[in-house]
Amino acid sequence: MRVQFWGVRGAVPTPSIEYLRYGGNTCCTAVSGAQGELVVLDAGTGFCQLGDALVSGPFGQGQGEMVLLLSHTHLDHILGFPFPGMIHCPGNLFHIYGPDSTRGSLTAVCNGLLSPAYSPVYSLENISARQAFHTINTQPFQAGGLTIRAWPFPHGEHMSIWAYRITEGDHSLVYITDVRYTSEQIRTDAIALFADADLLIHSAPYMRDESVQNHSHCCVEDAIDLAQAAGVRSLMLFHHAPGRTDDQIDTLLAHYRTLLAQQQSPLHLEAAREGPVIEV
Amino acid sequence: MNIRIWGTRGSYPVARAEMMRYGGNTTCVEVRVGDTCILLDAGSGLRLLGESLMQEPDPPDHLQLLITHTHWDHILGFPFFAPIYSPRTALSIYGLQRTQSTLRTTIDNALSDPLLPIGLDSLSASLDFFEINHDVSFELGPDVYITSARTNHPYRALGYRIESPTGILTFVPDTGPFHTILFGDEFLVWKGKPPHLHAGQLRTLERMRRAMINLAAGSDWLLYDSQFTEAQYAQFPHWGHGTPGQAMEIAAAAGVRELLLFHHDPHRTDVEIDAITAVQQALAPPGLRVRAAYEGMVLYREEQP
Repeated sequence: MRVQFWGVRGAVPTPSIEYLRYGGNTCCTAVSGAQGELVVLDAGTGFCQLGDALVSGPFGQGQGEMVLLLSHTHLDHILGFPFPGMIHCPGNLFHIYGPDSTRGSLTAVCNGLLSPAYSPVYSLENISARQAFHTINTQPFQAGGLTIRAWPFPHGEHMSIWAYRITEGDHSLVYITDVRYTSEQIRTDAIALFADADLLIHSAPYMRDESVQNHSHCCVEDAIDLAQAAGVRSLMLFHHAPGRTDDQIDTLLAHYRTLLAQQQSPLHLEAAREGPVIEV
Repeated sequence: MNIRIWGTRGSYPVARAEMMRYGGNTTCVEVRVGDTCILLDAGSGLRLLGESLMQEPDPPDHLQLLITHTHWDHILGFPFFAPIYSPRTALSIYGLQRTQSTLRTTIDNALSDPLLPIGLDSLSASLDFFEINHDVSFELGPDVYITSARTNHPYRALGYRIESPTGILTFVPDTGPFHTILFGDEFLVWKGKPPHLHAGQLRTLERMRRAMINLAAGSDWLLYDSQFTEAQYAQFPHWGHGTPGQAMEIAAAAGVRELLLFHHDPHRTDVEIDAITAVQQALAPPGLRVRAAYEGMVLYREEQP
């Protein structure tokens, strides 16, 4: 599998020079398989940048097909959805998986995002590409040669997010963002989902001493502990806090790498950057 | 009147190196006249404006936010505007009165589950909402007058004129030209060519065009929708945006001193904006200065009367 980040920022885009090395677009990650399968994780504003890149291929001809997996429907994970030209190109096909919410089905939430007060698109009916919405559940499913398994986790008190494990042959990656681990059972679920993954993409917007006031997110230490417990090979920190500059991410990364080296941990630690392609 | 531009981009924020000179944050402008502090639109640039306000030794305690319309690129910065989490802040929010929903509900829903975990009731600032119509004038502060006009944009939007003895700014971030299509509250199904306009619709468009010229008349600065190239406009007139050439027509007819191309397309690089601006500068009539608005741009009258 090849992984490319198109948006690594959490909460709100940060289009300023001191954020561009890691990136300032909100959450969007593309995973492509050996047979050309395309699975996209979340549709923050990075989805618009991905759309621009895809237009030179089948998505520009109305022959594109993707599986879009939504972790949840907070704005930094769906705002980019209605903008790219590929969405308004007849013939393209989008299989969209994500959770229903207490305020309505996934389809209703996406429709609300496009309602006339907020968007000139007005409703999903006016999107020309074919859309197939699927409420996510824990049953594994296939996207070509890729096997996808989803599992719910808490995000604050009232919201759930879904994490996704994508497997191709002997290789697996896990994507989990906006999670807060609120019990031992939930940590056990996480370790089971992460087990022996080659790559774990994990939100970690805060360091432990910064996260005291935050009830919706976990900290970097949680991500590292669970990755180690699950035997993950490489941990990719994701969903960078909007106030975190490139230099600060460098410092944060160096700090935790030093700790891992002191523990002689085999865990490889990185911070997600928009642009480069990673082989899994 | 002192003006600072915090967001110039249209549609959605873009974090790309080739766009950092003009900026990737969406629409937001700060206007100070004496103690009156006006914020025009709450695009993603509002986050940076909020950080700047919080660092002022003596920040204004009353902020007045004028919203042209509630499309995402004009409200996205609101939940990340630090002053709304401070009990010291009093914020008055102005926007278009609608039969479909109150302004308060529209903003509240944008901030609430399942889109965001916030909601207006959790905010510490005291908020007041004022719903206004187009073609109204009112005094916002001592010697600060606001006038509104309807722009030609899907679901209707407002343009604002801010007039004080120290400057006149007209702010029209989103409008198509006043021909071809008349936008209203209904979705326009686009079938590759504009729908036929009957005589009443043509008269309405002409009235809107004249009102827009009146709104901008004699402005020191006109910030005006210039999102599309001519080729884009030909392909997408139904999205309700215009071209620099259309902006220039209004600016020239209104006798403004400076036209600032605004609401840049999210695909437009700095180099492309330079070129587009140079074309309009060459075409501008005498006495009309043309520049492209950039993030961080500061405007004030060189000679205060």
